[in-house]
Order: sequence, then C-alpha cells, then structure tokens
Amino acid sequence: MKIFVTGIGVVSAIGQDAEQNLRSLQSLTTGLSRSANFNLMLGEVRLSNEQLIEKLDLPNEDYSRTTLLAILAAKEAWSNNKINKSVRTGLISATSVGGLDRTEKYYFESQTSKTARTYSLMTHDNGRTTERVAAELGISGYIGTISTACSSGANAIMQGARLLEGNKLDRVVVGASEPLATFDVKGFSSLNIFDNEICKPFDDKRSGLNLGEGAAYLVLENEHSISVTGNKPLCMLSGWNNATDAFHQTASSPDGKGAYLAMINALAKAGITAGNINYVNAHGTGTSNNDLSESMALRNVFGDAMPSFSSTKGFTGHTLAAAGAIEAVYCVQSILSQAPLPNLNFSTPMKETNMTPETSFRSAKIDYVLSNSFGFGGNCTCLIFGKAW
Amino acid sequence: MYINAASTISHQPTFRNAGFSSNLRKLDPSSGLITPDYGDFIPAMERRRMSHVQKMAIACSLDCLQQAGIQQPDAIIVGTSMGCSINTKNFLDKILAATNGPLSPTSFIVSTHNTIAGQIALSLKNHGYNMTHTQNSLSFEQSLIDGILTIENGAQNVLVGGADEEEDTIYNMRARLKNEEIHLTCGASFFILSKNQDSITSARLVDVASFGLIDNTTGTIKNFLDTNNTLAEEIDLVLFAVSDQENKNDLKSIFQPWQMFDYQEITGTYYTNSSFAMHYAVDILSNKGHSIFGDKVKNILVCNNLIPGNLGLMLLKN
Repeated sequence: MKIFVTGIGVVSAIGQDAEQNLRSLQSLTTGLSRSANFNLMLGEVRLSNEQLIEKLDLPNEDYSRTTLLAILAAKEAWSNNKINKSVRTGLISATSVGGLDRTEKYYFESQTSKTARTYSLMTHDNGRTTERVAAELGISGYIGTISTACSSGANAIMQGARLLEGNKLDRVVVGASEPLATFDVKGFSSLNIFDNEICKPFDDKRSGLNLGEGAAYLVLENEHSISVTGNKPLCMLSGWNNATDAFHQTASSPDGKGAYLAMINALAKAGITAGNINYVNAHGTGTSNNDLSESMALRNVFGDAMPSFSSTKGFTGHTLAAAGAIEAVYCVQSILSQAPLPNLNFSTPMKETNMTPETSFRSAKIDYVLSNSFGFGGNCTCLIFGKAW
Repeated sequence: MYINAASTISHQPTFRNAGFSSNLRKLDPSSGLITPDYGDFIPAMERRRMSHVQKMAIACSLDCLQQAGIQQPDAIIVGTSMGCSINTKNFLDKILAATNGPLSPTSFIVSTHNTIAGQIALSLKNHGYNMTHTQNSLSFEQSLIDGILTIENGAQNVLVGGADEEEDTIYNMRARLKNEEIHLTCGASFFILSKNQDSITSARLVDVASFGLIDNTTGTIKNFLDTNNTLAEEIDLVLFAVSDQENKNDLKSIFQPWQMFDYQEITGTYYTNSSFAMHYAVDILSNKGHSIFGDKVKNILVCNNLIPGNLGLMLLKN
C-alpha cells in the first residue's frame, strides 16, 4: 500500500514555517543561542505565547505552549485541506510534557501565592493538547496522542501510517509538539549532558546536547484520499519500525541493538536494501553515549558503504518529543531539494568509527532517506521516506 | 482476535482471582488499592525505585504471561492518561527544593509516560514493538486498536494494558469532568491479545473503536453495531461510563435499562478504567452460569463515554 506525504509544517528555532527552516539549513545558520532565562545554549522559538495567540488569531484562553506551537505547525501542514465525509480523517500528535509547562507554572506559583490559576490543572493531560489542535483543524473521530519520550514524534508518524495501512483512516495529520519546560531543562541538567556551547554531533570532541523546542506535522494520505482531495504528493512514507533496546532506562546499548533492529526492519518494510538509502538523518544528539551507540548501529546496517548522514540538532537543539517530527519534515525537504542535510560544528571523526557526516548543503541524487529517533526506555524508531515517482 | 489472559490490580479483589465478577461489590468509598506482594514479581533493588503505576503494570504483565504460558510477547502496548504522575510531581518538588544546587535525576528519568512500557520491556529483555498511548479517557482503547493492527501485521501474542496511578496535585480530574462527587481510584489491567484461539481463551474481542470530539454519540454507537452486524437488542450487557445524565439518556435511547450497568460503581474513576471494565467483561464471559447478570451473557459492549465527546467502544463475545 502506498502512503503519500502531501503536506508539511514546522516551527523551530530556525524558522516559523517550512520555507524559513529550509533556508536556515541551506545557509548553515544555527538557531541555538544563549538563553537569558537559563544561561544555557537553547533552541528557542522566538515567539512568546502572547505573540503565538495573536499570530494564530485564537480566542483569549489559557493555552499550553505545546498546543500553540502545535496549532502553528499543524495549520501549515493542513493548509487548504477540507473535511470531507468520504475521506476518514484523523490526527495523531505526540508530546512528552503535554500541558506540563502550565502545570509547573501553577505549581511553582502556588507555593507563594494563593491566587495561582488552578485552570492549569485541567490542561495537564497530553490528550487535551491534541484535542485542542484537532478542534482548530475541524477534525473529529480518531484523535490520538503518543508519548514515548524522544522518539514520540517519529512514533506518531508511524502510528498514522499503521492506521492508513490497517484501513482505519484515509488521511491523517501526524506530528509532535514540545515546548521548553523548566521540568525538562532541569531534568537534562541533572543528567549532566548539556554542551555549554553549540553541540557537535558525531565529533570526537562532542560534549553533550542542547535542548530546543518546536513542532512539526505532516499530512499522510492513501490513494483513495488523494483521488478526492487532489493533493499533490511531496514524497512517500515507505517504511517504518519500532524496536526496543532493552538495555537501560536512559542509556543506549554499546552496539545500538534497538537502533539496528529498527533500521533493518524499516528497510524490510519499505522493500529496499541499505544500498538504496541516499541520506540518513541521524538522531545524533551530541552526547557521548548516543552518537557512539548510533554510529555502531549504522556501521552494522550499512557496513563500509555508509551513505551521506548528519544530525540537524546543531540547528534546532534536541527538541525531545518533537525531534522525530521536525526531522521527518527535514527529510521530506531533503528529497524535494535533492540534497542531503548538513551537520554543524563537525571537525574530527570519532576514533571508534571514523565516520564523517555531511557538512555542506550540496546537490545529490536522493531517492530514499532514513530518519532515526531514540528515546528513554530504549524506544527506537526508524522512518524511511522515498521520492514520489 | 482472542483474549488469552487478563490481570487487574485495582481497589477490588481482582488480582489472581478469576471469577471475581460473580461476587464483586460496589466500590466502598473508603477503599484503597489492593496490592499483591510485589516481591513475587520485582527484585527488591528495582522495586524501591518504582512508583505505583510501574509496579502494578509489571505485576499484571508477568501474571498475564504466566497465565498464557508465553515467555515473550511480540509487542508491549500501554495506555496511560497521566503516566508517571507521582514521579513528575516528585521532580517538580525537587526543583523547588534545590533552587540552584545540584538535582538528583532519579525521578526525572522515570517520569516519562513510556517508563511503564519501557520498564516492562527492560524486565523481560524484550526487543519488540513498544508503544505508549496517552489520549486521556481513550488511552486504553487506542492501545487495543494498536494491538489489533500489530496482530494483523503478523504478531502472535501482544501484551496490551491500561494503567494510571492516583495523583491529584498536578491534575484536577474532578474539575475536568465537572463532577466533585466522583470516587477517584487507580489501577492497571493487562491482557494477552492473540491471533489464535487457545484452550485458555477467555473471550473474543470482536471490535474496538475510539472517537474524539464527536457530537453524535447515539449515531456513532449505532454505526459501530451495524458495522459488526449486531443489533442493539442482541447485546446482553452494556458496561458503560458517563459523566452526566444527558450522556446516560443518549445510551437509554438505544439500550433498555436491564441491559445497562455503570462500571464506575465497580472501578471508580481513572482515565484507563475501561481496561478494568474489559477485564470485568472477560471474567463474566468466561464464567458462564455464575454471573450476577444471569447465565446467558454472550455479547458485551463496553461503552466508555467518561469525557463528553470522547467515546470508546469495545465489543466482546464468548
């Protein structure tokens, strides 16, 4: 069965729409900068909640930032799509913190103030943020939320594909949203894995990750749906798989077993071999553990014939649950631009694997792109996008 | 699709108590969670670091695998609305206490919703598909749909469950459901969903559906029954949850009062309580002749309308 990608939308530290994001990737311009709030290198979206509400022309309610970022990106992906009874349409969104950005604000304020707004306590659940996005697009029916930490976004996309393949839906908006919550900033800080400067994925001298925020959505359709909507395919979603590392709650296994399984199973699902892949958008967080484990898994999949690869986290930071969705949009753009995407800040290959990522934006034949996303709990997901022939 | 094992930890005597449906009473307002000796399932070192929801989920999972006589499921799928909310609250407290000092990451790394499914995989060393659905009151139904898709894609046995722990300082469920009277509880219910019927099969799962933001509950239920070639009067028992009288009236326009039973009288309220309702249904179907609903119960519909506009439907047969 063919699954067509017909719409994309993204907001991140390097742009407020797909076009702006692509221009930053082409011009090697990072979105990371030192945050005044946390004194850390962060990939912040340069719009306050108030500015987002105004930009989106939303009624003045309490919104989680997760919802606001999601609506901005989902509306761009949804574009001129309309609800049509003959096209069963759903929404699957992913988030890790959900409405926790509001909950924590209430929780911290309530320690000193008796007038802290308790409304926040009702926006905490992840599903609520997704429902608000669905309402904005006019979607009812299958509305789902996935939460698997840093692989969440990729899993929401995979879940959409599974529902199309299982003939439960004809068209589905899939993606993820994650704001920079104090909870996550403090949490990753407690793990001592921040790079105090801009991260250096796959570099021998890499010293950690930077956090970022953002949201991205794609519209997936089956053949029946595009015959009704008339939407033009941007590319195909060709393969997907989720596997578990089952090694440790937060660390990846030395040989990246979960990552390896996800990649080879996704290739099998797409009906292609490793040699068909022209570009790999790696998870590549910049931590010592991830990049080594992922490199070992890539070596085991591709052997000596490693295709172009990079991590785009030097542009956006690690946007946690949103990363898989933002990077999926970048993979679509890589196919449309016929160019692998660059990796910032690379100078020295890792001793253990001697692999050199792509460092410039240049033309190349791109038929298939593979995207990796890994999360806490050893959750490993691989997506494969193919050119629309 | 067959249910070849079921296990529930709840405020009721459900755990390792097959046939519980024949003598379950209405939930006592002062009831607490009835827990097994977790030492039988989880090594002490790991147990100390686990919150309620993780312990309940692991014990139910291992119980299910034992009942079905399988070592490894092909996939692990968990529905949880609030995830590890106690660990989340604990880390918020640590942030408040630490101001600028160092923070221990312990509760942070086990705060993500998928800690539950991830820990099950880690304890089994399972490398298969691992998913976490978190769509408030429909988290469990969506996990079941995912389980069915996984079996349609070739899996033999899938471990599917619903689990939520009680934590009301970071989420106000009473306010969200606009009902101050509800009895908040918690629990975990896990199942082995299988492609093949087995001698241990307790029920057949005919169909599951999840609907969000709908305005026509009755039409949606009628369509679901039509799709499954089942008439409303053929349903022997409708296990339902609603949050107000208006929603209950919708159900009454399709079903007769003697067909209907409010499962929240048994389960109490948590967002994945429909998983407990499904176990209740499975137990009734597999204990013919002993059910308080009579000895002719063959078709059960679990109708979860806990949040207005959100509707989960599960059709089970013996």
